[in-house]
Amino acid sequence: MSVRNLKGNGRWWALAGCLLWLAFTFFPLYWVAITSFKSPLGVVGGPTYLPFVDFEPTLTAWRELLSGQRGQFYNTFMASTIIGLSASVIATAVGSMAAYALVRFTFEVKLLTGLIFVVVAFGGYLLGRHVAGFGQATSLIYAFIAALALAIGSSWIRLPGPILGNDDIVFWFVSQRMFPPIVAAFALFLMYTEMGKLGFKLVDTYTGLTFAYVAFSLPIVIWLMRDFFAALPIEVEEAAMVDNVPSWRIFFGIVVPMSKPGLIATFMITLAFVWNEFLFALFLTNSRWQTLPILVAGQNSQRGDEWWSISAAALVAIIPMVIMAGILSRLMRSGLLLGAIK
Amino acid sequence: MTRNDPVKHFFIWPALLIVLVISIFPLIYSLTTSFMSLRLVPPIPPRFVGFGNYAELLQNPRFWHVAWTTTIISFISVALQYVIGFSVALALNRNVPGEGLFRVSFLLPMLVAPVAVALIARQILNPTMGPLNELMTFFGFPNLPFLTQTRWAIGAIISVEVWQWTPFVVLMLLAGLQTLPDDVYEAAALENASSWQQFWGITFPMMLPISVAVVFIRLIESYKIIDTVFVMTGGGPGISTETLTLFAYQEGFKKFNLGYTSALSFLFLIVITVIGLVYLAILKPYLEKHK
Repeated sequence: MSVRNLKGNGRWWALAGCLLWLAFTFFPLYWVAITSFKSPLGVVGGPTYLPFVDFEPTLTAWRELLSGQRGQFYNTFMASTIIGLSASVIATAVGSMAAYALVRFTFEVKLLTGLIFVVVAFGGYLLGRHVAGFGQATSLIYAFIAALALAIGSSWIRLPGPILGNDDIVFWFVSQRMFPPIVAAFALFLMYTEMGKLGFKLVDTYTGLTFAYVAFSLPIVIWLMRDFFAALPIEVEEAAMVDNVPSWRIFFGIVVPMSKPGLIATFMITLAFVWNEFLFALFLTNSRWQTLPILVAGQNSQRGDEWWSISAAALVAIIPMVIMAGILSRLMRSGLLLGAIK
Repeated sequence: MTRNDPVKHFFIWPALLIVLVISIFPLIYSLTTSFMSLRLVPPIPPRFVGFGNYAELLQNPRFWHVAWTTTIISFISVALQYVIGFSVALALNRNVPGEGLFRVSFLLPMLVAPVAVALIARQILNPTMGPLNELMTFFGFPNLPFLTQTRWAIGAIISVEVWQWTPFVVLMLLAGLQTLPDDVYEAAALENASSWQQFWGITFPMMLPISVAVVFIRLIESYKIIDTVFVMTGGGPGISTETLTLFAYQEGFKKFNLGYTSALSFLFLIVITVIGLVYLAILKPYLEKHK
């Protein structure tokens, strides 16, 4: 009998509590599932709970949904899938490379270099916009390039002042998540509109939305993968280094295969985040690349009390994630996400 | 041990560039705009107004109302999430019967799209056709206007938040509980410490660092709430359930009052930063005491 087991009455109280929570968790999901099989009459006549006993299930809602009578559902589903998959693949790939670099290599950035970047970017933008009279997008691009060039250039000369190490860079990445997304979403929408005037259409395009999602998933990916890579035994890599294997081959040939479970979990967490994301999709799309959450939210005002079709639409957004929850919990059992919280 | 190799630049630059572009562009744009009077509808030429937008916002009672609503929703829902989540994590850690099933199902709500959850909640809370009011009537309570009366509407939003995000707290705390060493508990059991004493003397202090991190993450994320409110009440009745993000959305996307919206989002950023710093400052002595 281990200390981890509950004894006596406590065991039953704990079980009762868990069952109560289980009921609370499952009832809404059960409700939406049965409602999608109800007929209009079955909804209006008051709540019913058991199929075949309380009400006669029909496939009307699903048939309407799948046949496309209810707007461009198929199109939206494909847009969500394409954007979700590609944004998570890119974010996981790019983010884990950065995370690996931050775990295994030494980075030193002078605080002054960072300051130069910010000051030049701001000053350049204001100069270009109000003195030289460029458009917003043009002056931002020039200011960004100038700031980046000066910041990189300044790292060659010896600058005084404090030095930022790997941990500070990680903190900078993660702190991007603290930013209220409304700040970024709104500004991005205006930026994308300005870029559109220059000839690069970004609002309501695949590129625009995917790029925004990649950028906003990167902090999570770097945070999760950094702890994962740090937990890997370094001896294997050291042995490879003795044999003069180049670093990129160590990463792709040894480290990536070893961290497959971590990469899969990170990929799925990112996918869930992108799949359910609402605010960016609301600002950055309007028709062609609209994603599922926007469509589902729109059902509310368009359909009012047509609960059967609302439920079917909501289920299409939910089911892929339910399947993922199953896979994820299986991975979790191997203690995978443990490192992520340290 | 870290090493030095020029290839490191190849590894880090893609991520660095993407995040720089996406974070610095909006920052520059909205910070400069927040000091200007700029409207798209009706279009007026931008004019420098200094702190005018900020002053106007701070005098606007609606801003304070919205900030207060958001604070209430976040603090109450995070407190509930933490208490419930900790209890569930404790039960799961102690091998409650059927623990495997619970684990899978407790993960689920977190992965469901918040807009879908809000739609389901609307159905369940519907005054005439929803199951909750039928249950209430069955037990002899009156039919309650869950989404159309301020107090109930805020309560409804809080319960949806609790439903959706308690699993996250369970997940994190459970991972933490599993790293606690067994021998401390064995020693405590020998001393005949009751489970209540064991919890406050051992488990809670040892879990404090993880708890602080989890609550911090949830608090920051809760302040950004929009989708649930957007679908459930649309900020109503009136503006009584409007949150900061929803307010910014209304000002920016419905009225196209850009300078004002940018100033609002920076005030929002300041609010979040202040809350985060105060929170960490309050808890720091406790964290150090238990190190």
